[in-house]
Amino acid sequence: MRITCTHLLIAITLCGVTFAKSMKAQDVLKRTVNVTVNNSSLETTLKKLERDADIKFVYSKSVIKTDQKITLNASGQGLKEVLDQLLTVHGITYQVINNHIVLNVSPQYEQIKQLEEKKIAERQAAINVFTVKGKVTDEKGVSIPGVTVKLVGSKTLNATNANGNSVTLVAPSPVTATDANGNYTLNVPDGTGSLEFSFIGYITKTVPINGQSVVNVTLEESQKQLNEVVVIGYGTQKRGNVTGAQATLRNENLDERAITRVDQALVGQLAGVTVKQTNGTPGKPFSVQIRGTGSISAGNEPLYVIDGFPLSTATTNGAGNFASGNPLDNINPNDIENIEVLKDAAAAAIYGSRASNGVVLITTKRGQTGKPKINYNAYVGYNQASRKLNMLDGQGWIDRATEIINSQYVADYALKGATANDNATTRLANVGSFQVKYFLDPRWSTPGHPGLEFVDWQDQIFRKGLMENQEVSVSGGADAVRYFISGNYSNQDGFVKNTGYKVYSARANVEVTASKNLKFGLNIAPTYSITEDPGVEGKDNIYHQALSFTPVQEDTVGNYPNVGKNDQYKWSVTTNSVVGKLENIVGETKKYRTLATIFAEYQIIPGLSLRSSLNLDNTDNTSRSYVPYYVASTLLSRTFNAQTNPNLTANTSGSYNTFKRQTFVNENTLTYSKVFNHDHNINVLLGQSYNFDRTDNSAESSSGGYTSSVIQTLNAAAAVTGNTTASQNVLISYFSRVQYAYKDKYLLSASLREDGSSRFGSNNQYGVFPSASIGWRVTQERFMQKIPTISDLKVRASVGVNGTNNLGGDYQSIPTLSAAGYVFGATQAAAIGQAPARIANPDLQWERSVTYDAGIDFGLLNNRITGSIDYYNKLNTKLLLNVQVPETTGFPTFLNNTGSVRNIGEELELTTRNFVGKFQWTTTVNVSHNTNKVVALGPGQTQILIPSSFDISNFILRVGEPVNSIFVVKQVGMLTQADITNKAALFGTETVGDPKYEDINNDGVIDANDRQIVGHPNPDYTWGITNTFRYKGFDLSVLVQGQNGGSIYSLLGRALTRTGQGFTDNAPAFYEDRWRSPDNPGAGRVSKAYSTFGRIVNTDWLYSSDYIRVRDITLGYNLGNLISKKVVQNARLYITAENFFGHDKYYGGANPDATNTDLSGNANYLSPGDYGGLPLAKSLIFGLNITF
Amino acid sequence: MKKTFFISTISLILLATSCSKDLNQVPISSGTTVTFYQSPSDFIQGINAVYSDLRGYPDRLANLSEIRSDNIYGVSSLGVRDWDPINNFQKAITGNVYVEEAWSTDFNGIFRANTELDQLAKNGSLIPQGLATRLTAEAKFLRAFYYFDLVKYFGKLPIVDHPLLVPEANALGRSSVSDVYKFIIDDLQYAIANLPATYTGVDIGRATKYAAEATLGLVYMTRSGPTYGVEGPGLGLNEWALAVPLFNDIIASGLFAMNTNYANIFSYSNQSPTTTGNKEAIFDVMYQSGISGTASTYGATYPWQLAPNSYFKTKGDTKSNGSLEMIPVSNDLLNDYAATDVRKSFNMNTTPFVDAGSTESRPFFKKWLDFTKIPTTSRFDWGINFIAIRYTDVLLLKAECVLHGAPGSQLTDVDAVVSQVRTRAGLTSIVGVTLDQLLDERRKELADEGSRWFDLQRSGKLLTVMNAWITAEDYKHQISPVVAGYIVYPVPQSQLDAAPGLYTQNTGY
Repeated sequence: MRITCTHLLIAITLCGVTFAKSMKAQDVLKRTVNVTVNNSSLETTLKKLERDADIKFVYSKSVIKTDQKITLNASGQGLKEVLDQLLTVHGITYQVINNHIVLNVSPQYEQIKQLEEKKIAERQAAINVFTVKGKVTDEKGVSIPGVTVKLVGSKTLNATNANGNSVTLVAPSPVTATDANGNYTLNVPDGTGSLEFSFIGYITKTVPINGQSVVNVTLEESQKQLNEVVVIGYGTQKRGNVTGAQATLRNENLDERAITRVDQALVGQLAGVTVKQTNGTPGKPFSVQIRGTGSISAGNEPLYVIDGFPLSTATTNGAGNFASGNPLDNINPNDIENIEVLKDAAAAAIYGSRASNGVVLITTKRGQTGKPKINYNAYVGYNQASRKLNMLDGQGWIDRATEIINSQYVADYALKGATANDNATTRLANVGSFQVKYFLDPRWSTPGHPGLEFVDWQDQIFRKGLMENQEVSVSGGADAVRYFISGNYSNQDGFVKNTGYKVYSARANVEVTASKNLKFGLNIAPTYSITEDPGVEGKDNIYHQALSFTPVQEDTVGNYPNVGKNDQYKWSVTTNSVVGKLENIVGETKKYRTLATIFAEYQIIPGLSLRSSLNLDNTDNTSRSYVPYYVASTLLSRTFNAQTNPNLTANTSGSYNTFKRQTFVNENTLTYSKVFNHDHNINVLLGQSYNFDRTDNSAESSSGGYTSSVIQTLNAAAAVTGNTTASQNVLISYFSRVQYAYKDKYLLSASLREDGSSRFGSNNQYGVFPSASIGWRVTQERFMQKIPTISDLKVRASVGVNGTNNLGGDYQSIPTLSAAGYVFGATQAAAIGQAPARIANPDLQWERSVTYDAGIDFGLLNNRITGSIDYYNKLNTKLLLNVQVPETTGFPTFLNNTGSVRNIGEELELTTRNFVGKFQWTTTVNVSHNTNKVVALGPGQTQILIPSSFDISNFILRVGEPVNSIFVVKQVGMLTQADITNKAALFGTETVGDPKYEDINNDGVIDANDRQIVGHPNPDYTWGITNTFRYKGFDLSVLVQGQNGGSIYSLLGRALTRTGQGFTDNAPAFYEDRWRSPDNPGAGRVSKAYSTFGRIVNTDWLYSSDYIRVRDITLGYNLGNLISKKVVQNARLYITAENFFGHDKYYGGANPDATNTDLSGNANYLSPGDYGGLPLAKSLIFGLNITF
Repeated sequence: MKKTFFISTISLILLATSCSKDLNQVPISSGTTVTFYQSPSDFIQGINAVYSDLRGYPDRLANLSEIRSDNIYGVSSLGVRDWDPINNFQKAITGNVYVEEAWSTDFNGIFRANTELDQLAKNGSLIPQGLATRLTAEAKFLRAFYYFDLVKYFGKLPIVDHPLLVPEANALGRSSVSDVYKFIIDDLQYAIANLPATYTGVDIGRATKYAAEATLGLVYMTRSGPTYGVEGPGLGLNEWALAVPLFNDIIASGLFAMNTNYANIFSYSNQSPTTTGNKEAIFDVMYQSGISGTASTYGATYPWQLAPNSYFKTKGDTKSNGSLEMIPVSNDLLNDYAATDVRKSFNMNTTPFVDAGSTESRPFFKKWLDFTKIPTTSRFDWGINFIAIRYTDVLLLKAECVLHGAPGSQLTDVDAVVSQVRTRAGLTSIVGVTLDQLLDERRKELADEGSRWFDLQRSGKLLTVMNAWITAEDYKHQISPVVAGYIVYPVPQSQLDAAPGLYTQNTGY
């Protein structure tokens, strides 16, 4: 509560300005003054008066000329008397308001002045003999009335003044404005010079006359960028006045493409926002990271806020999946008006303890007053795998298998004189019995390999999947009610058989103006989705198995080896056919989610309003799996035998899991906004929020198989095991913000948030998150008017503190109990025990980040070029790490806030309008650079090896190095006989043709101590370029994006290419170029196929994560020119090609961004990685968008 | 309008205050120390968890007492096993996993005992008075048991009498050995006064008054051992006479008896401590096979700690039961047994077997192994109790006190007991037993029960016996001379790192 008082104090002080008792004007004017000035400027004089009489003059320098010289000797005179003497003679009026004296130009004085000017103009008209006419239209050809047309370039003319004297005049430029039809006529002295066309909201254009009597002009809209209102945390602001680093995704980027998820729309669009498509199965969330990786264990996903409703922060599990849902699940991208990403601390700090990873503000569409607008949006198309991972074909596999089998045979039976050329009879004599590892299938070498079939398993599991979307929306409004209502159906069949995603969604956004001061609103969006995924991605799942599956099979079983009554091919892997699994395994997730907001807004006095909202996000998720015995285990277990195997369904398994997630948020804000004396724009926010989040889980699974081969539900399970669990947390917040703009030139914003979270320890339940930012609109300065090339320039700087309360659970500070059993009893039996599983940490708190940001927003050449540049330095401290503590606490470590990570980066966003006019070409570029370093770990710690689920540690946290640096042995070539002779360091029993590793510690052997840092997972650069072309009704946009500088340590690569791997598994196609003999060493990448030394984590499985991808090409045609506006307001046909072209360097997997498997197996070190991720989908889609 | 403003702000504040208490959330699906302890069964589960930390006790005795002593010549083939530095008296063992384990498990047990005591103090009124007293006594016994284990290994210790938060732990240094003993003795005296003599039914196996008496007796005896000039378990006090009444009370109870068959003491079919079952067992660490599947929640691992995996293979075992390689019994112990001593063939395997083509003839302990009882699930699931306090041991300890001058008779309290032990082993009885003879008999009787190192400590002959043995046995020349500092182990490195400067390392390390 103490901080709440601070918030109040700020508010009261600020409001005090408004409520101050007004002072009577007469009292002010009666004050006596003692001021003497001698030939000083009026400005100086006024300042002296201000000091002497304790008053304040308020005036605009552009209206009141203050450079005239004044001589004044006032001693003991009344203020009124002095002012009359000083101002009135110069045609200046004054008015007392409170303690301020507002100066203005006397209307009469103006009239006189205007009259004089008119006389001069009349004389000029006499000499303006050249007439120019024309019409001004906008880009769509619609005429614009009211455009100011002016001759530029000063002309000197000789004229005779009113007194008949000859004078040289600097002629005021001839000026006119376009009429209702956009036509103008202007008389100018001659056919030289240029005309300037200016109109609010359009880019000012200058056209040389060049002697033409008709000059027609097309004006383009000035993007309205600076006066555009943008959404910020808890409010809106003029874009020109934004002082934080904030990036915008406009709705045309969403509306003009075919997109199934909102996060998909963000890919490659915004600097500093890295969006990774980590999955290839449809409907799955993307991973979004803003400005690098700041946290080691608390997640790096941003906070999403939809229409002011902060959703629960997404948490990825160790495998990189969103097990309990992602905030963007089921959100219909067509409902989105725009997306704002708050990147720096100052912009995000109003969200306090959840804003450390940035905040994404999503605004949905609302109705505008007017007649109903009906929009129909539909597309249909297909998607397919964008690439395959090239694996050995049947012949290549036979070649490799033959080499391995022969080598194995020769190695094991060398004493019996075995040679690779031994036939089957000789081998049988040596080995004694048939074993596949020593024998070749004779059909391999028979021409046409009769009885065998070569199978490309990727081709067998892939298909072209249908994609379609239907959406209708109606929006409009009358005086009291505004509405937007939409319904959407979207279906995407995955490019892997039997995968798919269907979503039905609806939205109603309704606002009711109940009275002048009172407004109510309701946003409600129910959605329902069904995802079919039998378990395709990740370790030992279908795609991984399809890659490894033996490409040679018996032709009698086709694509179904080791399924049902089919046996496996003798030389094949023991896996059940991946096609059989895809067709029979059920993995279905149904998600019903409703987002609802109801709010009321009451204007207490003009400028001061109170808003109160209730928000609920409810997700009910059920997932069901069913694996029939038919595609499990071995042929023996699938074969009925009355004695030994009477119950085939004993190997059938199933599960039914649910979670219910509810987020309830109540927010109350008080906003005061006022412009004082034209120039002082102040906005104060005071707010409070209550946030409740609860998850209920249930899990049931079959135990001991099924009793039915038909029924899939768990009532047919032999037995069921299950449980339910629940967890909840509460966040209570108070926040305030002050924004101040002086003449829209000097900008200041400061915010303070205090969050109390039930997740924090009792000693640190409240956290305080301040921020401040300043901005300077340099172009508002007078001196900048001399530099017309710079149409806009703003310099800004900010600092702020944010946090993340994603502590890995709701109760991390509390010592929860876990089982610790023992045995007691005359008949010895289990005695359940319960003991605390960790130490209480009442000090546990949020991870903290402090970000400094400096940026420039600019517009050049009438905003033909606009952009921003940002530099940031973000230090995350108080990281959640397990720290060593004395065992007297009962435990070796505890979760504490320690350690820090720094991210430094630069961002560039640039939009250039290369061609304007009939043919338009716009380029938007964003580039981000980020470097990341571990600054500190636990006390005294310099490094932490991140545990590995599959091998010795291969990622490291080391002070001074990037987070999760890859820490493996470096392969430096292939071992030659010379190396062996020279006692090169070896790993185990390595021989010639095996990989040569770098002996970094020079101890003569290769082992875990030779690991070194060879790369880091995060890219150094991410970038995206969008080119948009418009000509007549056509529009074409091309989005290319990519990243550079990161590495992938691929466990999938290891699974497919590790040394010592058996012959049954398939290997990548580049195995063709393996080391075969000293004379035929291959391409230098792959060592010989047969090896016995095992494996060590090494750079063989290290790949660059660089890629370049043509993410989207969309060609549209606006039918507006063909169809009467009376029938439809707007109609557009388009065709979109997503992901059709691209290049990457990931040869050990299909998607450089894939994450699907928990590599650390330890919740304290999130390390998701690729162990069988699908390639991305490429899609071709035809769409239609009509507005009635 | 001012009014409106203030009303709004006031209502905001009221709203805010009313919600603040919501920040105190408690876990919904798991207990916490704050919410869990309500009913008798909750407190019983709390004490059971304290017992749970006993489960590593026998393994620790193998690693830190048997291997350290002259019973084992544990020099591995490559010299890189975790037990090598323990066996070889290397100085750099502060990071050794066995040393770390001892400190960490015992302190975890103390923490759990303190948690239980803390909860009993706060919420004990929720359960019947009698139960609360018993649980308090059990918790104090176990806390003393863990502290006694620690003091024997490490000497000076931080004294923890309630659950600590990290700042407290970071400020709590080591207390003197005599203060630690005072803490232990207080706990044990409370336990003796409040623990029942026997249990029935499902409670059999819990600590009894006699378990506490035996422990306190051994505490007095250990304090009576010499200091060797080190802040170790011996304080050079002459408290032999304090131990005797405690042992006498155990003997007089009539609940315990020496088994007439040595092998039967350790039989898988003679489990269940006291009254109905194994009358040798005063206090057991209890294990049961087949409850927990593959996890080691209820089964034992100690039986195979010192027996090689290769031997299990010859028994047709496929689950890699056994130690990575042989940790052999020393020739000194092997030769100490008479050929006719039944304990020799029972305690150790002396039959050569073939391992990887070569014959392995070194003997190893197999005392706790029954190759017909290899667990079906995993090697972590052996089902045999470890007798932590054995009646024969108590009788021999009393004899030791008498030989040190405590009240008692050479004839009935020493010679008769030793003769009874020898007769059971198939040996002749002796009279006029000396302390040296008693020490030797204990070595053979209690081999592989973790007693040897502490017997040597207490006898005052540790340095001479060990160094003489090393000279005779260490043909690989791997073992360093034993110096006084090695009476205790070093404070684990993790503890020195966790709170730099808080603990001073034991002299000699």
